[in-house]
Amino acid sequence: MFPGKGVRPMAEMSREKIAAVEESALDQIHDIDIDDVIDYVHKDLKRLPGYMDLYRRYLRQRWDVYDLDFAQDARDWTERMTQEERDAFVAISSGFHHGERQVEVELPVFMLGGSEESRIYMSSQIEDEARHTVFFDRFYREVVGLPGESVQEVLDASFEHVSETFVGPFGLLAYQADELRADPDDLAARVRYGTTYFLWIEGVLALSVMKITLSYCRDRGFLPGYYAGFTATCRDEARHVQFGMRFLREAVQSDPRLLSQIHETLRTILAINGATSRRVMLEALGWSAEEVRRLMIRQLTMKLTDVGIGLPPDLQRMIAGIQPELAGG
Amino acid sequence: MTGLFTSEWAEQVRAAVDQGPAEDVRAGKLPSYWQWIENVRAVYSSSWALGVRDLAGAGPHYLRLGWKDGICAEASITGPDDPLQATYVLAADLATWRDLLGGEDPGRIVMYRRLRLEEGDVVRFFRGIYFFVESIAVIGRVPARLP
Repeated sequence: MFPGKGVRPMAEMSREKIAAVEESALDQIHDIDIDDVIDYVHKDLKRLPGYMDLYRRYLRQRWDVYDLDFAQDARDWTERMTQEERDAFVAISSGFHHGERQVEVELPVFMLGGSEESRIYMSSQIEDEARHTVFFDRFYREVVGLPGESVQEVLDASFEHVSETFVGPFGLLAYQADELRADPDDLAARVRYGTTYFLWIEGVLALSVMKITLSYCRDRGFLPGYYAGFTATCRDEARHVQFGMRFLREAVQSDPRLLSQIHETLRTILAINGATSRRVMLEALGWSAEEVRRLMIRQLTMKLTDVGIGLPPDLQRMIAGIQPELAGG
Repeated sequence: MTGLFTSEWAEQVRAAVDQGPAEDVRAGKLPSYWQWIENVRAVYSSSWALGVRDLAGAGPHYLRLGWKDGICAEASITGPDDPLQATYVLAADLATWRDLLGGEDPGRIVMYRRLRLEEGDVVRFFRGIYFFVESIAVIGRVPARLP
């Protein structure tokens, strides 16, 4: 059975493709297919790079958010995209307009614990998330046309588009950050936090939103500034996901009882996954609800399998029952 | 209009959250969303203590709501000198309560961590998060006089 566009089978990446994803500068990144970047996220999950390797990669791949040019995006938005396409796009991307800000704010407490190598790497991820927040601020200000003098005012203007799909997990992360603040070295609390952040928010929600919006941009030839910036963001996510999966794997290897913390957190995430109060016409972006459902399941199971996180039967059933409510689809 | 964190307000809140959102509120959101909330509520038997850290110089006050099999069975106000016991204890500053009563989105209050969980299991609390959010929205619609 053809698996559908949401679940392209993982192929062995050629050396040329890996080099293209790893080394492209921001002004070259529009030539890269989002599927290749997502393959790049997963290619190292079985033999995860070390924290300092990821930090060195960050130094090579860092990009300047102010180098992006949104002039053509603004014309596409007003002159070429339909109202249905704009509505669906904003409904999905607004979750990450707020999400990038949220993780920028919630990550420093995680950096307080762990090894020195982990802390050094984490400083780079916090800078990534701040840059991604500015990316969305520029996109909403210069393309969507939301008003606001400050970053917060633009965030205020887009919150009405944020669905429960994002409010639940990002709210959970905020409360888990509070919990971690009491003792940043509490490994069980770090694992619960890491499950929400690295496995679900980064590994499933972010990559799914990237796949949907970037496929739409590429297929239609729209929003080149967004495509370049969010593809570069996806390449950053590869480091984030690989750090997170390494952290979870090492934590469980050090104390197998911590697996139950991953399971309990996943039970909550999957229990709230199906609830959303509004419908978004994903079809306007070229996606069916079933394709989104398969995409989310695939994103989650690839990480669990590659990192070696086994699941009890109740969680396997919950994953099979994931709803395509990425944004009320 | 009753005062915020008075016994009269607590009873009005209990009746309102027990009744749930009005029809016009329900009509604005998908039926499947309300069904999810109904499924959570049907077996819900935890208690919430929703506090203000300082009630205009009178110290911390909490509204305690006790749920029993989906019914909001009890409501009381706990002052700074009273013992406090609840499954989940949450607190915010008075400005957050003012914003809630002024129509601020309770989902955003949660996501921006303006109502902090001070006691209770975070992961289990979030299994009913949209039931909680919609109940907070109902509380925000009960008229109350701010100190």
